[in-house]
Amino acid sequence: MARVAAVLRALAQAHRRQQSDIASIIGNNFFLVAALLLQEAGTFIYLLIGVVLLFPLSTDPLRKIPASRLSLWPLTDHDRRVLRLASPWVNPVSWLVVGAAVWAARGKVSLGLWGAFAGLFVLTFVLSDLPISPGRTIWLHVPPFPGRWNQLIRKNLREILSTLDFYCALLLSLSALAWRLFGVALPDEAFFALTILIVLALSSYSQCLFGLDGPGGMARYRLLPLRGWEILLAKDIALLAAVIPLTLPLSPLTGIAAALIALSAGHQPSVENFRPQHRWRFSTGAGVVTGLLHAAAMAMAGSAVYFKGAWILIPCVGAWLGSVWYYGRVFERSPDL
Amino acid sequence: MISCRNLTRRFGNFTAVDSLNLEVGEGAICAFLGPNGAGKSTTVKMLTGLLPPTSGSVEVCGLDVIHHALDVKRIIGVLPEDLGLFDDLTVEEHLLLTGSVYGIPKAETRTRVAQLLHALSLDHGRNTFASACSHGMRKKTAFAMALLPNPRVLFLDEPFEAIDPVTSKIMRDLLAAVARRGVTVFLTSHILSVVEQIASQVVMIRKGKIVWDSPPSELPQSLEQHYFDLVETPVVEELSWLGSPRS
Repeated sequence: MARVAAVLRALAQAHRRQQSDIASIIGNNFFLVAALLLQEAGTFIYLLIGVVLLFPLSTDPLRKIPASRLSLWPLTDHDRRVLRLASPWVNPVSWLVVGAAVWAARGKVSLGLWGAFAGLFVLTFVLSDLPISPGRTIWLHVPPFPGRWNQLIRKNLREILSTLDFYCALLLSLSALAWRLFGVALPDEAFFALTILIVLALSSYSQCLFGLDGPGGMARYRLLPLRGWEILLAKDIALLAAVIPLTLPLSPLTGIAAALIALSAGHQPSVENFRPQHRWRFSTGAGVVTGLLHAAAMAMAGSAVYFKGAWILIPCVGAWLGSVWYYGRVFERSPDL
Repeated sequence: MISCRNLTRRFGNFTAVDSLNLEVGEGAICAFLGPNGAGKSTTVKMLTGLLPPTSGSVEVCGLDVIHHALDVKRIIGVLPEDLGLFDDLTVEEHLLLTGSVYGIPKAETRTRVAQLLHALSLDHGRNTFASACSHGMRKKTAFAMALLPNPRVLFLDEPFEAIDPVTSKIMRDLLAAVARRGVTVFLTSHILSVVEQIASQVVMIRKGKIVWDSPPSELPQSLEQHYFDLVETPVVEELSWLGSPRS
């Protein structure tokens, strides 16, 4: 049992470290706006964040140990069975599911809500444990883009697809699409507000554009014969390629204007304040004040396009191009980035 | 083709590379040898523009690496220490990216990519994401990226480590072939037997200073012995807990 206890201790430590990454949500624009501006009215956003967050939190903790290492350790069959049964309990979400079951039995939580929560948890746990290849092969089908930055844009789009921000935006977009398909009458302002929320969900990524490239990727950027503005442009096109289809059920021009402003404001922290990010987590923005200013600027640009006309896009494009050019030069001149 | 004058790099109080002077000619294969932490990778980073020197200058093909960074990048191929790969691109996509960024026509890029994938036995893993590749595959991908634009100077940081013997031989032959066509190769390595076979210039570095620079023919003894004498003498520690040897 001493061997199993040692493995469980190591597992719990690894799991705790991984879950500390969840704190990244505190610096996320979407969460900040919900917590500081919407407060109680942001229940829908909290629910959305909770659902998206449940997936990475529900994976089997035993996966932390490489299969080859686990099979090499001198553990008996009995040790392995104990490890299999005990390891899920190093994950606090397992205890939360049990606690919620008690509340459901006492009628404090509806049985349906508990069932959905527990079902999602168990489904993710089981799926994460299946011996299938990590489903990244589907990302091979990210469409090509014309021009010399094709592969860079595809890479950047795949990075966006590996953040939880994208899936929050996707759920919002799908909800909007469902409302429209089923003929739910939305007030005119709802189109604007939902569009801004979708872009807001993606906007933290614009403040840490290089966070998922890693040291190897940053070294490669330095070696490629590309100007700084080209590297930033490839990043920005990928974000716009995510924003446009997601805002199609609502107001794409409003979405583009908000995204351009998000990118214009996001270049500075991305280039001058490099912060590594984690996959399957929310992107961390550049701070509370920056995040709120960012959100306000996006909302202003989006509302101007939505309520005044598409011509407002012209100054948005101008500001964005200026930012790409200027911070492209800054990127080139900061060799220790 | 490569010229350094008084090249120095300090990190705080620590001097990683100290007043390095070096000349490497056209078509030479220069092996840059030294123990871990001697300053090899720091030197390669400065030669390729990845790291600015604290003082001194570097020229590649007559171009100052700091002031003509973009022009230098267009004529060099680099296999960096950390390989410089993107987790979200496959092996083949890395090579296609290199072709398009260096302005090589699409059809020509396809031909070169197919040949390199085949030559380096990367065919089967062409659609594998770099994050899922073995270290050897990642190294071969980075090597292929360095070679694909047909550069005038190749900088390779430990190209043969973690590579299987057959691919290592293919890589050696490729390097010899490009050198015969006038490409300058600057490589670091710990595998002295390989270095002995291909290098036309041997440079040894110890604690940031060059301690030897000559063609291999001018070495007074075997490369390994000379390395041990000049750079680092191996000391074998007795590990008492291994028990006494069997008779």
